[in-house]
Amino acid sequence: MLEIKDLTLRYGKHTALDGVSAEVGKGEMVAILGANGAGKSSLLGAVGGRVRPASGSIRYQDQDLLALPQHLLVEHGIALVPEGRGIFPAMTVEDNLSLGALPRRAQAGAAARRDEVFGLFPKLAQRRGQIAGTMSGGEQQMVAIGRALMSAPDLLLLDEPSLGLAPIVAQELFAALGRIRAGGLTIMIVEQNAAATLALADRAYLLEAGRIIGAGAAEALRNDPAVAAAFLGGALTD
Amino acid sequence: MLLTTLILGAVLGGTYALLALGLTLQYGIARIMNLAYGELTLIAAFVLVWAFQGLGLSPIISILLLAPAGYLVGWALYTVMMGPLVRRAGGSGRLEVDSILATFGLLFLIQGVLLLTAGPNFTSISYLDRGVSVFGVSVAANKLVAFGICVVAGGALVVALARTRWGLTLRAVALSPVSAPLVGIDVNRTMRQGFALGTALAAVAGGTLAMYQTFSATGGVVFTMKALVIVIMGGVGNVGGALAAGLALGLVETFVATAIDPGLTLAATFAIFLIVLLWRPQGLFRRR
Repeated sequence: MLEIKDLTLRYGKHTALDGVSAEVGKGEMVAILGANGAGKSSLLGAVGGRVRPASGSIRYQDQDLLALPQHLLVEHGIALVPEGRGIFPAMTVEDNLSLGALPRRAQAGAAARRDEVFGLFPKLAQRRGQIAGTMSGGEQQMVAIGRALMSAPDLLLLDEPSLGLAPIVAQELFAALGRIRAGGLTIMIVEQNAAATLALADRAYLLEAGRIIGAGAAEALRNDPAVAAAFLGGALTD
Repeated sequence: MLLTTLILGAVLGGTYALLALGLTLQYGIARIMNLAYGELTLIAAFVLVWAFQGLGLSPIISILLLAPAGYLVGWALYTVMMGPLVRRAGGSGRLEVDSILATFGLLFLIQGVLLLTAGPNFTSISYLDRGVSVFGVSVAANKLVAFGICVVAGGALVVALARTRWGLTLRAVALSPVSAPLVGIDVNRTMRQGFALGTALAAVAGGTLAMYQTFSATGGVVFTMKALVIVIMGGVGNVGGALAAGLALGLVETFVATAIDPGLTLAATFAIFLIVLLWRPQGLFRRR
């Protein structure tokens, strides 16, 4: 479904991605794991059209994504929830969700999708009139993910959804991601919380200093002592 | 006496509110501080006068035509002049400085052309200038018609911004231009629409002014300044605030002109401006 080949991305002299190749199949949930500054967000940002790579290719359902401006990606079924959420903090929850349904592909069936989002995050239904910027971090993340789901995506890109959330809130969030995942949506996720992410994902790529240093089934990576040492803080504690 | 001031002040305030609404849309959505805004208003005012005197065209029909014409002019201006600046700035703060300098130049260009074609004298038309009694106060009919047009145009815009998909798009770009592409919004296109819409409002406001006020080719800068004062009073990007502050400024000016001295209206405007800047730089109506 998504095919990334030899992607190289630079910010000035700094090379953020160095010949990265990765794939995401239809219905898969693929995690990108790595330390801070490994290039995870750059990779997701390149797929989401936020940053332009120096070389390489990104193909999505036979479409060259690098040929499209950022705002057209969502019409092709790609929804990005960036780091920092990218919501409209001065607007209400309701307006944020309506904005999610703005793309042409999302206009039909928007009401049903809104009900699904409210089913997934009941808090948003209660707070639909609240200004999004006045909500807690976890609630804002719900708005961001709900907004992305409103655009009827085929591929959901999540950048550090649990960043800055209290552990219990992060747990709730991963539970919701599990339900979204169960709905069959294809997901590419970047996360620092490797344990919780590997519990949900099918496969993962390990990124270090802009290069892929390993890949495999999530199950196998969870039980790999080397991975545990590097990415899971020594040991898995569930 | 007080009632007269209130009614005449509200009429003037209606035009001011519309004037400010256009400027705040241009700045809020397109992020262009348009110093030639008052000159665009003046072009519309002169066009209305010429159409009335030369072609016998009713000012109301003129204004109906001025709105889409203003939109087209704004669209063209953005495409030819502002678009390259926006692209060059690439989302950085450079756009504010560049746009101020560029529109400052445009101000003198338009002013020169207007002086050349219309001359330096004050112009006005006499249209519907018989008095109509409103709550016992005699008000010129042209002012009432102008006020009605401002209320309809401003009201329609406020409803469109709050209720329509298009309004949602414009608001999204005004509030978070970086997030807007995430929901499929073409930011550059929306900025162009915002700039064009602001010019359309400038044209309508200029048309209504010409219906009841005298003006000259050099007066544009005062309109820009007043619109700017109102925008800052109302809070930058705050549509409701601009409407309320516009109305308030009309009332204050009329009050100063009738109760103190007509020569002091401009001084009063800038006194308010200074007080707001010092006391509430975020605007009178801003939450937080």
